[in-house]
Amino acid sequence: MTDEAHHAPHPTTGQYVKIAILLAIVTAFEVALFYLDDAVDMGGWDGPLLIALSFFKFVVVIGWFMHLRFEKPVLTRFFAGGFLLALSLYGIVVGSFLVGLITR
Amino acid sequence: MAETVATADTHAADHESFGIDNRKLGMWLFLSSEFLFFGALITNYLVYGGDTFGATVVPREVYDIPFTSVSSFVLLMSSLTMVLAHHALTTGDQNGTRTWLLATAMLGSIFLGGQVFEFYEFINVQGMTLTTNPASSAFFMLTGFHGAHVAIGVIMLLSLFGMAKRQGGLSQQHGMNLELVGLYWHFVDIIWIVIFTVVYLLGAV
Amino acid sequence: MTATAERSTTMTIFRRPESTEGFWSWVTTVDHKKIGIMYGYAAFIFFIVGGLEALLLRIQLAGPNGDFLTAAEYNAMFSTHGLTMIFLFVMPISAAFMNYLLPLMIGARDVAFPRLNAMSFWLFFFGALFIYSVIFFGDVTPPLGVEGVPGNIDPSQQTLLGGLPDGGWFLYQPNAGPSFSPGTAVDFALLGLQILGIASLVSAVNFLTTIFNMRAKGMRLLRMPVFIWMTMVVAFLLLFSLPIIAVALFMGTFDRAFGTLFFQAAGGGDPILWQHLFWLFGHPEVYILILPAMGIVSEVLPVFSRKPLFGYAAIVFAGGGIAFLGFGVWAHHMFSSALTPVAQAAFGLSTMTIAIPTGIKIFNWLGTMWGGRIRFTTPMLFAVGFVAMFVIGGLSGVTHSIVPSDWQQTDTYYIVAHFHYVLFGGSIFGLFAGLYYWFPKLTGRMMNEALGKTHFWIQFVGFNLTFAPMHWLGLQGMVRRTWRYAPETNFGPWNLAVTIGAFTIAVGILVFMFNWSWSKRKGPNSGLDPWDARTIEWSIPNPTPHYNYAENPTVTSLDHFWHMKYTEDSEGRAVRRDDADDTIARLEHDGRNPSSPIHLPNPSYFPILMASGVPLIAYGIIYHRGVAGKLLILIGAVISIGSLLGWGMEPLEEPHDGGGEHEPAMAEAH
Repeated sequence: MTDEAHHAPHPTTGQYVKIAILLAIVTAFEVALFYLDDAVDMGGWDGPLLIALSFFKFVVVIGWFMHLRFEKPVLTRFFAGGFLLALSLYGIVVGSFLVGLITR
Repeated sequence: MAETVATADTHAADHESFGIDNRKLGMWLFLSSEFLFFGALITNYLVYGGDTFGATVVPREVYDIPFTSVSSFVLLMSSLTMVLAHHALTTGDQNGTRTWLLATAMLGSIFLGGQVFEFYEFINVQGMTLTTNPASSAFFMLTGFHGAHVAIGVIMLLSLFGMAKRQGGLSQQHGMNLELVGLYWHFVDIIWIVIFTVVYLLGAV
Repeated sequence: MTATAERSTTMTIFRRPESTEGFWSWVTTVDHKKIGIMYGYAAFIFFIVGGLEALLLRIQLAGPNGDFLTAAEYNAMFSTHGLTMIFLFVMPISAAFMNYLLPLMIGARDVAFPRLNAMSFWLFFFGALFIYSVIFFGDVTPPLGVEGVPGNIDPSQQTLLGGLPDGGWFLYQPNAGPSFSPGTAVDFALLGLQILGIASLVSAVNFLTTIFNMRAKGMRLLRMPVFIWMTMVVAFLLLFSLPIIAVALFMGTFDRAFGTLFFQAAGGGDPILWQHLFWLFGHPEVYILILPAMGIVSEVLPVFSRKPLFGYAAIVFAGGGIAFLGFGVWAHHMFSSALTPVAQAAFGLSTMTIAIPTGIKIFNWLGTMWGGRIRFTTPMLFAVGFVAMFVIGGLSGVTHSIVPSDWQQTDTYYIVAHFHYVLFGGSIFGLFAGLYYWFPKLTGRMMNEALGKTHFWIQFVGFNLTFAPMHWLGLQGMVRRTWRYAPETNFGPWNLAVTIGAFTIAVGILVFMFNWSWSKRKGPNSGLDPWDARTIEWSIPNPTPHYNYAENPTVTSLDHFWHMKYTEDSEGRAVRRDDADDTIARLEHDGRNPSSPIHLPNPSYFPILMASGVPLIAYGIIYHRGVAGKLLILIGAVISIGSLLGWGMEPLEEPHDGGGEHEPAMAEAH
């Protein structure tokens, strides 16, 4: 048997379904926000809000569906490491094109 | 790969280890690297996606948000069926495993069908092709490679389904393979979560 | 869990291969040692090829207004020289060392994924052949995907050499794009590198899993040899940098093959994007090139100084620091590409900081030698040569980090001098140290010392004669990548010296090749511990038995093997134990006589089969406009995907009822 039997119990089927419903609701909310932004001037808050919502979905799928919350911390370190590296490096590159900070 | 698994339990006295199955560790390492792959493709889109190129059609003008929302929902639900397949296997429910594997493959195929339809619309109706301008190139490249990843995932799911059907169930060896395919599948889903927001929702005019 | 499903043999197409000797045993091997040896010989062949390319360049540049090569041939030669040396020599020969030594140095019997390991080798090998097959299949016809644009070379004037990829090893866009590099030569480079990248990425995952999960009992991470730490760091660098170049290569390929507009300025594309993506990979790449050699030197110096490595932990963490910082300096390759002052300052500073962990390593190596009783064997000469030459190369590197200085140095021979001092004086000297040092593990024999020292001195003199003058030639204004220079520049005399130096290096290499092949067959027996070494790969017989360790070792400290032979007196000096010789004799005997049978992963056809499909896909992409190309893509995909499916159903080890190499017993490889 794999070592999974030794750590925290898996979420149950019911819990998985609840998580999926939550994700669906958040997605619906994102789409609603998208249309809301057309109707109502959100003053630039729509972008960060959408990013925050999708980041929430991102973390939930990784933590529960990919089971990372229940795995050994070293896996989280590798995965987060790759993510943060990508964010930093590409953030600089995209920033250089858009902001004119790095390239004229 | 069907391999003799040495776990922390059986071999703890024999060697030093992180206590994570080799194949699982390998898959997580590989997926960590995929952030750099999709990150480059997203960067490509972010660099070009906001520009105009003469009178040519750019992606942000042609998105069909309702349609893509449904596609996104389908892919999200496929993550649920994937995790249910894995859960079924761990509780010894071979029938459930097969059912949910097939369901995941079908939802993935529906997503792909949606992508194909969307591409058809863009190319034939809107006149935006791979080579129309750098933004369209970047869009098709990003979503195309994501779609290719989904397609590979569907092939793997169907292979597992086929193996389960032929052999009357998945063995412990192949149980690990299902978990690995599951990790890959969820990863492809989270990349789409990013793409849907960053490319479609934030991009659309 | 339900009952284990019985494996149906009717699912497999092939009977499992069984050979342990001869040609087929190499083709189907999954043994890390055989794989390492294949990497090594293949890499060395490409070293010769790259060296010949360099000699051709040097003949052309030996005097002003050379016409030994045409301009087109010159461009192809410096491009393929770079591609070959970096991707087909230094990387694979480092892979050879890592493959052969990793399990041995951590006390394992193989790597975590033996079949993936074999696949990585075959992908490399076929990818390398694919690149050079451009000689037979490449052409200089009007560019793909861009109708009506004339090629910039008249096809009737294409020569053999001139048909090779000519966009530099860095393939800057749009110069290496469809408009300015028509024909298919550059496609072979782009797609070939893609194939090689897949091979290395898979290896990285393999090595990391092996290091994390398969160390011998007692070998905590901070008891691993430095070479293994460097292998780990290199694997992380590969893991995170290769995907970036993969995307860049796809974009470049698509621009050429399918007419996308990523880098075509006329269509609104931005060539700077290529530079960012390329160097995001390219800078970590150069640390990938140097760290294995640094690891080798960290093993060799202590043995021949008869002292422990000074500051082991500092060297380990400095290696990690170099890798981490290495991701933050890429735009220093772009100082003359219109970055803003803010960016230039930031990247200049970050580049300077890399000197810190590098300096830590250098001082620790010096500290290792200080006060030691040094034996100047051939490996030691190369290791010391590495330290000296790398310092010179590193110093010129630091001068590049000063941005205005770099503006003058860029595109001159000063840069060429810098990177050859670190890559040749550094990596290659370090790799030679490793070849001489570990030769006994491979063959059970010793290389000839006199020939070895001859090789060293010829190569040392030749190397410095070749590359030292490039520093001042560059500062005097001699431009890179330019096929000839005018007599008025007065660059002639030093260029002639450089050319003589290059041929001197060639002589040294010939000495090495003779020494290697002669010693393999006729060298004196080495015994178990010819160098009085420190690490556990020397605690098993030479040549290495195919099961590596007869018994799984248990390790109680860093340099465990050393402590089996030596204890310390009251002043901390090493004192050989009375029973040291008995220990060695016992290890020799026990190492050849496992107490119980050992079972190893069986050979397999699937790795080479899977790898063979990928170049077919690549050829298909190049010729995709025709039916043949589309067919090739289909066939290649079927072969590769089919192999993967078959592979997934094949067990790593066959059920052992008399099959396989030994009778059933503990299965240690996973």
